[in-house]
This record gives sequence, structure tokens and C-alpha cells, in this order.
Amino acid sequence: MPKIIIDNQEIECREGIPVLQAALEAGWDVPHYCYHPGLSIVASCRLCLMEMKMPHPKTQELDWAPKLMPSCQTPVRDGMEVRFDSDKVRDNQKDCMEYFLLNHPLDCPVCDQAGECYLQDYSFEFGRAESRMVDQKIKNPKKDIGPHTLLYSDRCVMCSRCVRFTREISGTSELCIVNRGSRAEIDVFPGVPLDNAIQGNVVDICPVGCLLDKEFLFQRRVWELKGGPSICPGCATGCAIRVDQADEKVYRLKPRYNPGVNDWWMCDEGRYGFEYVHDKGRLVHPMIRRGMEKHRPEWAELADICRFRFQEHVQAHGGASVAAVFSPFMACEEAWLLARFIRETAPEATLVTGPVPMEGEAQHFPVGSDEANAKFTILAEKCPNRRGVEMVLEAAGGEVISFESFVEKAGSGAFSAAWITGGYPKPWVEKDVAKLAAKFMLLVVQDLLPNDLMAGAAIVLPARAWVEREGTFVNAGGKIQPFSRAIRAPEGGYHDGQYLYAIAGLEGLYNPGRVRELMAATMSAFEKVADAPAKPAHAH
Amino acid sequence: MATFEPVLMRNVGVEDSTSLKVYESRGGYQAFKKALAMSPDDVVAEVKKANLRGRGGAGFPAGVKWGFLPKDRTRTLLCVNGDESEPPTFSNRVLMENDPHQLIEGTIIAGYATQAQVAYIYLRVEFHEQFHVLQNAVDEAYAAGYLGKDIGNGYKLDIYLHRGAGAYVCGEETGLIESLEGKRGWPRIKPPFPAVQGLFRLPTVVNNVETLSNVPHIIERGADWFTSIGPSHSTGPKLFCVSGPVQRPGCYEAAMDITCRDLIERDDFGGGMLSGKSVKGVLPGGVSMGILTADELDMKMDFDDPRNYGLLGLGTAAAVVIDQDVDMRVVLRNMARFYGTESCGQCTQCREGTGWMHRIATRIAEGAGRIEDLDVLLETARNMGMMPGLSICGLPDGATYPIETIVKKFRQELEEAIRSQPPGRADMVLSVLN
Repeated sequence: MPKIIIDNQEIECREGIPVLQAALEAGWDVPHYCYHPGLSIVASCRLCLMEMKMPHPKTQELDWAPKLMPSCQTPVRDGMEVRFDSDKVRDNQKDCMEYFLLNHPLDCPVCDQAGECYLQDYSFEFGRAESRMVDQKIKNPKKDIGPHTLLYSDRCVMCSRCVRFTREISGTSELCIVNRGSRAEIDVFPGVPLDNAIQGNVVDICPVGCLLDKEFLFQRRVWELKGGPSICPGCATGCAIRVDQADEKVYRLKPRYNPGVNDWWMCDEGRYGFEYVHDKGRLVHPMIRRGMEKHRPEWAELADICRFRFQEHVQAHGGASVAAVFSPFMACEEAWLLARFIRETAPEATLVTGPVPMEGEAQHFPVGSDEANAKFTILAEKCPNRRGVEMVLEAAGGEVISFESFVEKAGSGAFSAAWITGGYPKPWVEKDVAKLAAKFMLLVVQDLLPNDLMAGAAIVLPARAWVEREGTFVNAGGKIQPFSRAIRAPEGGYHDGQYLYAIAGLEGLYNPGRVRELMAATMSAFEKVADAPAKPAHAH
Repeated sequence: MATFEPVLMRNVGVEDSTSLKVYESRGGYQAFKKALAMSPDDVVAEVKKANLRGRGGAGFPAGVKWGFLPKDRTRTLLCVNGDESEPPTFSNRVLMENDPHQLIEGTIIAGYATQAQVAYIYLRVEFHEQFHVLQNAVDEAYAAGYLGKDIGNGYKLDIYLHRGAGAYVCGEETGLIESLEGKRGWPRIKPPFPAVQGLFRLPTVVNNVETLSNVPHIIERGADWFTSIGPSHSTGPKLFCVSGPVQRPGCYEAAMDITCRDLIERDDFGGGMLSGKSVKGVLPGGVSMGILTADELDMKMDFDDPRNYGLLGLGTAAAVVIDQDVDMRVVLRNMARFYGTESCGQCTQCREGTGWMHRIATRIAEGAGRIEDLDVLLETARNMGMMPGLSICGLPDGATYPIETIVKKFRQELEEAIRSQPPGRADMVLSVLN
């Protein structure tokens, strides 16, 4: 690994990366706009310039070059020496910041980006307090460029990240730069809006308040938001995301750097697909029925009721009469807890993998690429944890059948007790499934939204949305990825892991880490799960 | 003083000089034959020995530039820079419209020396007539077997003409390359240099029209003849343009041992000022190099002396004379306006700085300047281009030299003009504008 010297400090860095990247990773706060590790390098913002020792063109002797060099464009060489802490560098940063703000409307009070804006941050840290510009500013227009995105071109710093994103990552090339000089602005071609399946990323990579998300526009000031690491449940890709919430309400999802999975990106379907979390019709409380009677149990007594009902049934009808359906929306820990309970109560029970929602075909980006050279992929499998659930069921042993054969067998009366988990963001119980309810003497339905099975259910358990739970998902590539809880379940109460923990007969409080320790006895893959989110590869 | 025997312009004024017949009858395409009998490396060595410095403005030795091409390359492209976008410059135009075959011959020899398969001649869009003249000449050269397949020694070359879309920055070599590729004319970050990865990511040489027009003469008469013309560091004939209120504005050929004063006053050049006019300042190298005052006219018009006068370089050696009746505020605005509209908008300093300078200079010219504006202009000039390397290309350097030198050298006049404004005018104009 090459070693370079920044400000007289030697650091070790990865081969072939730019000096800027090496400095960022080693903890230097180097201002930059146009550089993004996921995009090509244009070296146009000129903010990251540093002093470097270069071989003299004539004598080849190393000496400080008279020019400042763009650190984003200069790859690290072993033994090279650069200077960030210098007056020359600081002067350039000051000048640049004045230029960036020359035509900027300074409308932070009404700007969505305020609080996470790199114009604000860098002006404060590297800029000068006052602008000497007294003339009229150029007022570039505010543009509606697509179904989800607004472009306030007066706030733009012309870093061209968004343009490069649409050219290099999405491959759709909707954005371009029009006009020259200080009148240059970002625009779309006439009649071709910014409308592709991963366009939301341009808002994320915009370092300033130029590109804004219509869904989030004026919803909340960003400093009131609290972000928690999570995994997107939208498809089997399993993008690492951050859930930004305030007052137990999810406001937006943002991608988190996750090399090899989603890198820096996420798709719009995942980004905007969380409305169901705040659906008014969601199940909130558990419900118990015996005969015609219905009542709402206390959370604390729920475990005992469930355990008792199943033991009672197994004693009367035998363990083989029990089936449990495991939804691919369950976390691995939850599936393991439920499987443990079912296997303990009824060792001969049948375990069923829940229906896997499929939509269309996998979409690879840039458009036109295939699986081998895609930079980003949206999978057709619209659930987060089919593989995890399958791993857990396999480890649990015994018979595991598909949902189709479960429907068939249950239809012919093979099971008289069933635990059916859902948690799908869309209604999933078809007519042929709904009519199975009549076949069971004991039916537990655990779901997010009301479904037609519930009419015949003895116990209804509210499943929680993934932002209200914690555990791990296993993505299409077999990577076990932890997600943490961002908000509380509506009206409080237990989330799935908590009540399943008690139902499985474990003592104390649910803790996914502790459950994984138990799981590791039979599934070594769960011994060590990267709990901490990957270190961000760049500042922004 | 002996009259200079024209080299580059020897066919200018000859009847039907654009035709192949006339060009050949006056000794044309002899260098072509001589060059193709030599090895490519020998051609490069000869040009290197002649120390032919690029006539486009930067003065980089052409032979050295050719030497940067990687040895193991399989394909090479040659671009001929005929963008000629520097404001008062028209020497390439004179060469192209009067003697297109000289350029084509130079292009073929340069192509042979660099083993290029294809040469592109990039013309600014405004060169309509020159385009047709050149295209006719290229067609003639194809018909005569000077271009196309196996033109001698197993070498083949195709020449294509390409017309730009009207941008100053496309005269910068990587801007030109981007434009040739059909993209926005944004200069590229270097490295990689064009010699390694240029047009279509292939090794590319970009040379100016005038530079290549010199090549046939070097081959024909030898490097020693070439170095005998002019001072040792600025060898060979050079075209100079003179414009403004002089008796004989136009394009003249001379060795680079003349002074700026010669260019204006000598009878075989500018022929002195129009009656009743006197020199106030001269922009001697196209506008981007900066300004000379009337006291500095003894500057030598070579590649190195302009540095001693606070200028960026020789540039395109096109002098614009400014007479005593011209308000320097207007000159300042004119300069600033040009760069404000021609900055490509890529690098921050240049994009915002040129626009800002334009607005300040406009206000000063409109009689609403403030003394501190001059300091802001100087400061902006310093942090845009005077400190080199802050931007991808040299445009901001060129944008700041005229501004900086005008403000520095004519500060007294500018300050007097600002002080003589009605009191409160600047504040009033500003409040109306904002």
C-alpha cells in the first residue's frame, strides 16, 4: 500500500485512489463539490486544490510545484508529499467560496437543503464572511424537471454530479448543461423530463439545494430529523439506507454507502415506497377470539395465550396438524424465534415459505447493461429476506414446503392449525388463500394490513413495518445485513421480535444480537454480522 | 533596413494562388517529396532542430510536442487548429484563404512525421469562405495524389475539414478535441495529455495553422536556414496583424526581431497612426496577453520579451492600437465582456470570475464605478489566473491579463474618471440595479 505525506503526516492509503480520497479517508476535511467516488472525475470545482511536490520538468527533482494541483485528479504515488494546511490552499478556498456565492440567492431560510448544505458548511469553514459583490445577481430560473424532482438553478454550483450520474450510472442522460460562463445552468432536454427508476439519487448527490425532492419539499427542517441505519425492504438487492424520522414519522429514505450491494445509490421505488408505514388502516393491537368472543389482550399476556393455545391444540390433534407460513418480510431473528416455538411445541409441524412477490424483470443500470457489468440493479423479487427465511427454515429441520403446496394441502384439510405471517406492503391474500381460514381450528394471523384471513383467525397479531423492527435481512447476494429500529410502532406496543421472543419462551428483553448468538449454534453465518454501518467512503 | 523576403505569405497576392497549379508552379509540394523520402524520425528531428515554436499563442516547440507521442502507438491523429478565435487576429485566415495548399502540404508532412492516419482541420464556424477554399484545395490534393491511399513511401493520409459552432474555448486544444468529438467544447483535465490520449482517446497532435504552414519551408530549406531568421529563441518567420487607427492595418510577415513600435510605425507595416491620432495603448498579442502603454512600445515582438512588460506572452502577435480618444473604461468593459461570454463555465474561478468582472467593468464604463472596484478587479484577476494552474485550461489566465494590465497601467485615468462621476452616482445605479 502506498504511503503519502499530508501536512507532514504520513498516511497509508489504498492503491490508485486520488489524493483527495486518501485525505478524506484519513480524516482530513477537504472541501470538494464535483468529486464523487462513484462518478468520473472532472476536476472543475477547483476547491480541493493542494500544494504538491512534483518532479521538476527539466531536472526531475522533487519540489513544491508553483501551481496548486487538483487533489481529486492526482492519484496517490508512494512517497508523494502534499500540503493542505497552507496559506495558498486556504486563499484558493476563500476565493472559490466567494465565487460560489456570487450569484447564489442566499435563501437558506426557505431552502430545504439548509442544515445539510455544503455551501453553508464550506462557507462557514473555508469561506470569507463577506461578499464584495455589489452588482445584481444572475437569477437563473426554478424548474420542474420531472415527476419527483425540482431544480432551483439559482442555487447551483455547477459541480455537474447530477449530469454525470444520468450519463454514467442511470445511463439515461436526461440532464445536460446549457449556456456558457456564469450563465451556464443544468437543464433537461425539451419534452424529456428526468424520469428514470433511480433518478432520486441526483438529489442525494447534489451538494447544495439545487436539486430537491418534491415528496420531501417543505416537509421538515433537516436538523429536526434523526437518521437511523436500515436496509431497504423493497427488493432482494437489500440497499443500505438511512431512515430519516422525526416525531415517530418517517420523512425520507436516503441511501447509505454499501460497497458491492448498492454502492452510493438506491432506487425510487424503495425511496418513495414507505407510505404504507403510515397507513391509517394498519393493524395496531392484537386480538384474541374464542368462540364468538373477541377481546384485546395485554401485550404482556400475549405470549402465554399463544403458547397455551398451540399446546392445547397439539395435545388434542397432534403436531403434524400444525403448519406455519414464514413471510419473506420477516427478519431472520423473527423467523428463527417463530420456528423455534413451532418446532418445540409441535416437532412434526410443517414449515412453509411464504409467497415471494415478483414483479417484471430485474432492471440493470446503466440502461442497456446486463447483470455482469451493471452498476446498480433493481431486482424483480420484491421482498427483502427470502434467502434469510429459507436459511432459518432449513436449519430448523423437518419438512419445509412451498406456499403453493401449502395452499393445496390446507385446502384438502391436511392442517387444522396454522400460523400465517404476512407483513407485505400490499394486500396479498387472494381469494383461494382467504377461504382456507375455514379449514383451521386454530389460526394465528400476523400481518401489517387487515386481510381476509382474519375473519377466521383465533389470534390476530399486528406485524410491524421494518422501520419499527430490528434484525437482519439476507439479500440476493447472500449478505447478512442488520437493520435497526427507527421509530416506535403506532400507539406503542411490542414489535414482532419482542412478542416472538416471549412466545419462543426466552427470558428477558428481545435483542437481535442475543438471538443471533443463539442462532449461531446451528447457523455459523450469523456468528459475526457487521453491525456497524460501513464507513462512508467520502464526506458527502 | 532590408525588406523581409516573405516566406509564409509569398503566394499572397499572386493571381489564383489557391489553385494547385499555381502553388506547384511556385515550388509547392517539393518539401512533400523531400519529406516522404526521409524517415519520419528525421522529419521530427529537423523540425526540432529548427526550434519551431507553436504559433497558436503558447509558443511550445512543435517538434517537442510530436516527440511526446508514445512510441508503441498504433494509431495517431493530427488536428489542425484553425479556430483562430482570439479577437483581433486574422493571420490564419490570410494563410487559409490565400495559400491553402501550403497548409495542406504542412499537414501532410506533419502527419507523416507523426505517422498520423487522419488529419482534421478544425475551422471556426465564421470561416465560410475559407472553408470552401480549403475544401477545394483538399479535393485538388486528393485528385493529384497528395492525399489518400499510398501517397508515397507507403504512407496514407486523409484530411477532413470540421467546422466548430462558435466558441472561443474551442481554440484550446482539448476544447477543440471535445468539440471535434461532437461534445460541448469543454477543455479536458490533463493528464492525460492529447499526445497520449486525445481525440477519440487516441494519441493526438494539435498544431496551429501557421505552425504547420512553416513546416514545408523547414523541410525544403533546412533547419539552419530557419534558425537564421530572427532571434535564437524565436526562430523563423512570423505573421503579425495590426489593427486600429493606423494607416495600413493588415497582416504582415517579419522575423521576430521587430518591436511593437516598428509594427505600428514602419512604412512596410502599419505605416504610422492616422492623422490626428496618437497611441495611448496597444494590445500587442491578441487581447489575452495584456496591454502596453505608449511608453512601452519598444517591446520586442518575440516569444520572451513580452514577459518583461507584465504580459502573458506573445500570444497571436496581433496588435490592436488604441488611440488617445478612447476611454479606457470602455476598453476594460470590452475585454471583460468578451471573456464573460466566452468562459465555458466549467471551472469555478473562471465561470464566476469572468462574469463578475464583466459586471464590474460595465458599471465602471456606465459611470457608476467605485475606486474599490479597481481593487476587486485586481484581486479577482489575481485569484483567477495570475496564480497559475487554478483552472483546467488557460482561458482565465488570458482573461485576467488584459484586465489586470489595464487597471495597473491606466489606474490613474480610471481613478480620475471615477472621481469625476457625479457624487452618489455609483450608489444610485446600484440601488436601481438591485
